[in-house]
Amino acid sequence: MKKGLEKKKLKEDFSKKILHYFKKRKFNFTDLDLLIDTSLLTERSGEQFKKTTLTYRDLLGKEVSLRPDLTVSTALKYIQEKKTKEERFCYYGTAYRLNKKGDLKVFDQLGCELINSLNKNSSLILLDTILEPIKQIKKLQINIGDIGLFKILIESLDLPERWKLRLIRHFSRREYFSDLLKRLETNYDLDQVTIDVDTQRLKDLEQMDQNKIIAGRTVAEIVKRFKKKLKDPRDNYKGKKNVKIIKNFLNIKIPLQRTERVIIDFFYKNKLSAKDIKNYLKKIIFINKKIGKKYSITFKTDFGRNTEYYTGLVFLAYIKKKNQIIELARGGEYNNLLKTLGYKKNIPSLGGAINLNQLINL
Amino acid sequence: MNKIKIALPSKGRLKEESLKFFQKKNLKVVNAFGERNYFFNIKNNNQIEGIYLHAKEIIERINDGTLDMGISGLDLLKEFPEIYSQNVKLLQKLNFGFADLVVAVPKDWLDVQNMADLEEVSFEFKEKYGRRMRVATKYPNLTEAFFLSKGVSQFRIMPSLGATESYPFTGSAELITDITSTGSTLKANNLRVITDGNILKSSACLFVSKKFLNNKFLKHFK
Repeated sequence: MKKGLEKKKLKEDFSKKILHYFKKRKFNFTDLDLLIDTSLLTERSGEQFKKTTLTYRDLLGKEVSLRPDLTVSTALKYIQEKKTKEERFCYYGTAYRLNKKGDLKVFDQLGCELINSLNKNSSLILLDTILEPIKQIKKLQINIGDIGLFKILIESLDLPERWKLRLIRHFSRREYFSDLLKRLETNYDLDQVTIDVDTQRLKDLEQMDQNKIIAGRTVAEIVKRFKKKLKDPRDNYKGKKNVKIIKNFLNIKIPLQRTERVIIDFFYKNKLSAKDIKNYLKKIIFINKKIGKKYSITFKTDFGRNTEYYTGLVFLAYIKKKNQIIELARGGEYNNLLKTLGYKKNIPSLGGAINLNQLINL
Repeated sequence: MNKIKIALPSKGRLKEESLKFFQKKNLKVVNAFGERNYFFNIKNNNQIEGIYLHAKEIIERINDGTLDMGISGLDLLKEFPEIYSQNVKLLQKLNFGFADLVVAVPKDWLDVQNMADLEEVSFEFKEKYGRRMRVATKYPNLTEAFFLSKGVSQFRIMPSLGATESYPFTGSAELITDITSTGSTLKANNLRVITDGNILKSSACLFVSKKFLNNKFLKHFK
C-alpha cells in the first residue's frame, strides 16, 4: 500500500494524464460545487437519501449536503447555467458518502458526463472514453447491464398497471424488490374484507362534491383510484408465473457477444412480445461490435440496480484481487435525472467516473 | 455506598400503574417531602433515591448514567437513536401502558388500505402536486424507518407536539402516525389505521442502565 506523498504524487500524475485525455475527446473541464441544497435531493430521491449523505443545517436553517457523487453536481451545473444543447463535461473531484454504519467515505473521482446528447452512439463514446485510460490494467473485466431492458420486460408482462409501476420504481432497492416479488406471488395487497366494506362507502363518496379536498386529495381522485384498483386483474397463477419470469430474467449472465441471441430467445421462450426489445438491443450490439473484442465484457441483467437514477446502460470496470472486487470505474445512463432536479424535461444523459483512490493502489 | 437512583413517570395513568407495580414488589413509594415534591423514597429502604420525571426524560437519564433504572414506554426508547439501546437495557415488559404506534389516513381515503397503496399514492401525489406527502408525527425516527422499509420514500416528516390527529384536516399534513391504545381517538377524528400500518407494539417497561444490570436490587423484580 502506497502512503502520503507518494499517493499524492501518483494522484496528480494520473489526474493530469487522464484529464488531458478527456479534454482530447472534447470533454470540457468544469469545477463543481461541493455543497448541494439537500431539498433538491430529497424531493428527487425521498428521505432515504439523507442516510447516505453528510447533511447539516446552515445558520439560516437550510439543509445542505456534501455532494454524494459528481454526476448530480454536473447535472445541477447544467441546469444552473441554463444550458439547452449537448454539453460534454469532465471533472476531477471528491464525493462524500456515509456507509451503513454512518462512517464517512471519501472518493476521488475523474469523470465525464455527456448531457443532452442526441448522438445515437453516445453510450459507446462515453464507455470508450472512460475505459481507454485504464485499458492497460491486467485482467481488467467489465460488467454491463441495462435498466431499460428490465423495464421492457416488465411492460411486456401480463400484470396490473400498478404492479408494473411498483416493480420498475423499486428495482434499485434490492431488499424491498424481493418483498414485492413475494407479494406479487400471493397478491397480498388486496384485502377482500376491507374492499367489501369500502365498496359500500363508495356510494357516499360518489355523492359528495367531487372537487372537495380531503387531506390534500380530491374526492374524484380517491374514487377514481379505488375503482381502478377494483378492476385490476387478480390471479395468483399469473402472479407466480410472472415472478418466475422476472427471477429467471435477472439470472442472465453471459458474454456480451451472446446478449442479443439470449435475450431475444428469453422473450420468445416466455411468449413475451419481442417487438421493442430488438430495437432496444441495437445499442448493445453496436458496443459489442466496436469494443467487444478489446475488453472482457460480461452482460448481466441484474447489474447496475443500486444507483437509483440510472435508466439505461450501466457499466463497471474492475479487477479481482485476492477474491475481492476492486472497482476502477463505473457509470451509466440517467435520462430522467435532470428533470427530477428541476430541468424542464427528460434529456438523454450519461456519465462515468474513474475511481482514483483504487487506481493509485494498483 | 452510592444510593440506587430510580425514576418513575411523573403523571397520568403511567404514574399510577408504576406505583402499583412497585407496591406489588414490596417497594412502597412514600412521598416524604410532600405530594407536590418530585422526589420520593421507598418505605423501609434507605438505599434508594427516587424521582418523578417525564417518561422521555427517564430514558435520557438512564442513557447518560444519571439514573440506574426507571419505568418508561418502549415506544420512547425505540424513537431514540439505536445507540441508546446499548446503555438502556430492557429488563422487563410490564402489564400496563399498552399502545400501538400506527399509520392512519383520513377514513375517506377508501383507496388506501395498506402501505403498498400509500407508496403508490405518494408517487401520484408528488407527480400531481409537485411536493411530497407530509406525515405528522411525534415519532419521526420510527416513522421514517418504517415507511422506508415498506417502500414509501416520497414523504416528508412534519414534527408534531400534540393533537396530531387534527393535522390532515387543517392542511398541515396528509396523514399521521400516532400512538393509540383503543383507536377511539383516531376514529373520532375521522382517521383509520392502515391494515399493515402497525409500526410498533408498545407497553410500559422497566429499563435499567447497562452498568446496573448485575445489581442485587434487581432481584425484587424477578
